[in-house]
This record gives sequence, structure tokens and C-alpha cells, in this order.
Amino acid sequence: MTRTPPPTQPAPAATEATKAPKRGGSKATAGAAAAGASAPAGGEPPATQPDTARQPPATPALDLASLEQRLRDTHAIGVFTKLSLKNQVDDLVMAFRAFHNKQAGKTLAQLRQQYEGLLLKVLSLLQDGDPSLASAISASREAIWGILTDPQKFSKI
Amino acid sequence: MSPRAWITALTAVAAFGRLSLAAADPELPQDMKAVIALQGQPCDKVVSVKRNGDSDYLVSCQDGNRYHVFVDAKGRAVVQKQ
Repeated sequence: MTRTPPPTQPAPAATEATKAPKRGGSKATAGAAAAGASAPAGGEPPATQPDTARQPPATPALDLASLEQRLRDTHAIGVFTKLSLKNQVDDLVMAFRAFHNKQAGKTLAQLRQQYEGLLLKVLSLLQDGDPSLASAISASREAIWGILTDPQKFSKI
Repeated sequence: MSPRAWITALTAVAAFGRLSLAAADPELPQDMKAVIALQGQPCDKVVSVKRNGDSDYLVSCQDGNRYHVFVDAKGRAVVQKQ
């Protein structure tokens, strides 16, 4: 029942982001850059920029759908493994839903840890068999996190 | 060989092929190993995969661990240590 206040803890995301491998991604890189502004772990948000000016609604959602489809289609992961990953993604999404609904559950730091762990699993599974998809997902790390942590964006997934 | 014999032979081959699909799939051991690892269980190398039924396998690892890997009614991939 002790939930840490999310806005005051940008540290885990910031430190994890710096550890993230920076690989080249084509479409996903643009998505990550676009959603990077909304991620809680970025640098200081530009104070002069109005909120309406930094709302690229289509780009992150499009990337997410594209990545999801590529994950479904890849031959680098077996069927059981895909199902297990889907289960864990569903668990994470449910945990975020509870978080946004202010139900008793995990803190944002704990969710970040769960998210990073899951991402690491996906990347380790893909890095040999489908390195381009691994790069794209790695490049979209902050974009996906931005969607998960933003209540408005999250409600649309 | 008569047409009837051909049909019988082909049916037998098809049936056998379906039954041994799990064993013949070269990616299945890797798939099982990954699922087991995703559930946080140890398995250094998969040495055998026995198919119990649809989406239901018994996996033996070189380190002696054995797992029942299956999809439950809720659609979750389950790994049970035996």
C-alpha cells in the first residue's frame, strides 16, 4: 500500500535509458524520438513549448502496432515462447492499468523494473535470430515506456 | 501397387508424420528451453521433448530437470517442474 509518487522519481528511467544499447532503427527510431519528449525520463522539458505542439499521436501507436506485428511474424521465437511473452506483456499491461486506476499495486519504479526485465528477455531472444527487430524494439524502449506511463496514451492501447 | 494400397500407405505416412511432428520439429527444443527460461526455471540443454497432447509436452533437460510445459485453459503457457 505504499505507492511512491511517480513524478518525483525519474531516476530509474534515466539510468536505464543510458544503459540501453543504441542501435540503428529505421521507423522505430523516429517513434522513439517522437515519444521521447513525453517520456518521464528525458531531459528537462522545454518550458516554452506548448503541450499541443508536441503531440504526435499517430507515430508511437503506429510503431507499436508495427513492432507487435513483427514480433508475431518473426521466426526467431517459437510459438510457446511467443505465448509466454504475450502472457508477460499482458501481466505488465494489467499492472499499469491498476496503477493508472490508482488501485493498490506496484509503484512506477517497480513497473519500470518489470518493463526493463521483460524488454531484456525479448531482446535476448531476438538478438541472434532477428537482430533488426531487436534493434527496432531497443530503439523504441522509451517510446513504449512513454505510452505505458501516459494515462491518455495508455487508455488507447 | 494398387490405388487402394497407395491411399493406405499415404494415410499411414500422414498419420505418422502428424504424430511425430513434435519430435521432428528442430526448433521445438529451443522453444521449450526459452519458455522454461522465461518462467525463471533452470534448464541447461533440452535432451528430449515428449508430446503428451495438443500444446502439452514433457521436457527433459541435461541437468536432470524435467518440466511439464502446456497451455492452460486461460491461454497461458505454464511450466511445471516435475
